[in-house]
Amino acid sequence: MAGIRCQSVRKLFGTFEALKSVSLEVRDQEFTVLLGPSGCGKTTLLRIIAGLETETAGDVYIGDRRVNDVPPRRREIAMVFQNYAVFPHMTVFENIAFGLRMKKMAEGEIRPRVERAAEMMHIEQLLQRYSGQLSGGQRQRVAVSRALAVEPQVLLMDEPLSNLDALLRLEMRAELKGLLQESRTTTIYVTHDQVEAMSLADRIAVMWNGEIVQYDVPIKVYQEPETTFVGGFIGSPPMNFLDLRIERQGGEAAGRLGDARISVPDTAAGHLRLGVRPEDLEVLPSGRGESGLAGEVVVVEPLGPHLQLTARVDGQTVRVTAPADLDVRPGSRVTLRPNPARLRWFDPDSGRALH
Amino acid sequence: MRTRWLWVALALLLSFWVLFPIYVIALSAFSNRAEISAWPKSFLPEHFSLETIAFFFGVEGVWKATLNSVIVAVMTMVFSIGLGAPAGYALARFGFSGKDAYRLLILLTRAFPIAILALPLTIRFIELGIYDTPLAVALVHTALALPFAILVSYSLFLGIPREFEEAAWTLGCTRIQAFRKVVLPLALPGMAATAIFAFVISWNEVFAAAVLTLQNRTLTAYLLTRLVEAPLYFQFAGGFFLIVPSLIFIFAVRKYLFSMWGIASR
Repeated sequence: MAGIRCQSVRKLFGTFEALKSVSLEVRDQEFTVLLGPSGCGKTTLLRIIAGLETETAGDVYIGDRRVNDVPPRRREIAMVFQNYAVFPHMTVFENIAFGLRMKKMAEGEIRPRVERAAEMMHIEQLLQRYSGQLSGGQRQRVAVSRALAVEPQVLLMDEPLSNLDALLRLEMRAELKGLLQESRTTTIYVTHDQVEAMSLADRIAVMWNGEIVQYDVPIKVYQEPETTFVGGFIGSPPMNFLDLRIERQGGEAAGRLGDARISVPDTAAGHLRLGVRPEDLEVLPSGRGESGLAGEVVVVEPLGPHLQLTARVDGQTVRVTAPADLDVRPGSRVTLRPNPARLRWFDPDSGRALH
Repeated sequence: MRTRWLWVALALLLSFWVLFPIYVIALSAFSNRAEISAWPKSFLPEHFSLETIAFFFGVEGVWKATLNSVIVAVMTMVFSIGLGAPAGYALARFGFSGKDAYRLLILLTRAFPIAILALPLTIRFIELGIYDTPLAVALVHTALALPFAILVSYSLFLGIPREFEEAAWTLGCTRIQAFRKVVLPLALPGMAATAIFAFVISWNEVFAAAVLTLQNRTLTAYLLTRLVEAPLYFQFAGGFFLIVPSLIFIFAVRKYLFSMWGIASR
């Protein structure tokens, strides 16, 4: 087992800057997810750690060893690819045994280890099959078994579930989580699926435009996004953003949104952006003198466990997650009361959170 | 429905166009001498006989020429794969400046008629002391077969996902080991097809072979010089013997040729 450390890693593809001085530290036995939209550089970073791509600048350490000039085969890693990369001309057994054979392990030792790795992924009955005779989910299991069989210092996974259909993905996700909790292998997992990231990660590194914008435990990333990008990328529906005008009365600043006044953190700026999650807004019937944001419901989507409301507040769109039995229709006037403990304030120009 | 019948008719016509001459040659090759010049001609095999074929192989020089043809074709095959496969791999896996121009250039080598190349090549081969050897002929045949070898192996390697190799690297392989253990086994059937195709190109080529050899004729060159003086049945037998290997080989590798030309075979 070993930790991973990337120090000011930069990568250029021609003139395109895929990674802008990225630093990332993954602790021993930690499960880190690199999360971001496509083209954000997350796969590039993973491939640099694997040694499949060469960094333009910066250092990569696995354990205490600087691995910049170490070829992939000597990095003591294992990688699971998006398209599985299960060798089609070998049986499942030979696929899983491949890494062990390359280590010149004795035949007597290979068999039990292959069988153990296969059992972990519940594919022991498929060992004599070929890749062509397997379903996508089974192939993915073979790929994971093959990676685990070599007992790597570090496990790297590049969108391993994105080629599976939705139901299978859910099942594999839970299974992977259980398996990796048990094996405690240091893992970096790349995905663009925020639910996957939230459910699997010890820590999530949110990437955007070749940079890590936030690296924290999932709940922090969700509740306290560092930038409006993080708030907007994570969560479904994403965080609401409302622009407020700041007014001063007797030295005290307050945000103005329509008729509502909201106390804001002390700031010199003339504008602030309020971030609030859809489930952190309480919907109240209007006209009862309740304080809050006055709004009008535009769309009501019953989703089963809850209602998904789209409302307009002072000309800005707000999404609200409301209880399923709430009596609202399009056109209803409502008061939205935000949970004061869950408000997040951003500088509207830089998009960064205010602390 | 109407157009479908039209296509079927067209396909039949084309097949007939190609197959009928082959059939006639085969028929004549397996008839006795009297039958060949008989008129009106019977298009059914009535008098099957190995007499003509036996006579053909009895003629002095035929075996030697056949052996030469095989030697030249095998050399062509080895050269084409030896040079073509690495070139195809490089095209499929690496980005380098001038890649597109290089690909075009490969095809352009086919733009020079062999007739124009033959004379300067003859002079150069005499200077080098390899004129009238199988090696000289094989070199020219390689020049003919190489574009195909490169482009077919290019598409072959392109069809093998890069991730296979990368997975092998992460599992402990060097680049060469990964190629040998993962890429090569997957490319092998296609490579074999490419090799056979190179063999057929060499086997069938007559012009360069005729110009570049005197004593060590290949079969095609030998037959060409003999055609004028040879009796009709000898020509039939020779023609048949030339066609058969090509037919078998092309049939065996048709799947890969289709894929090279971007036609899906079913």
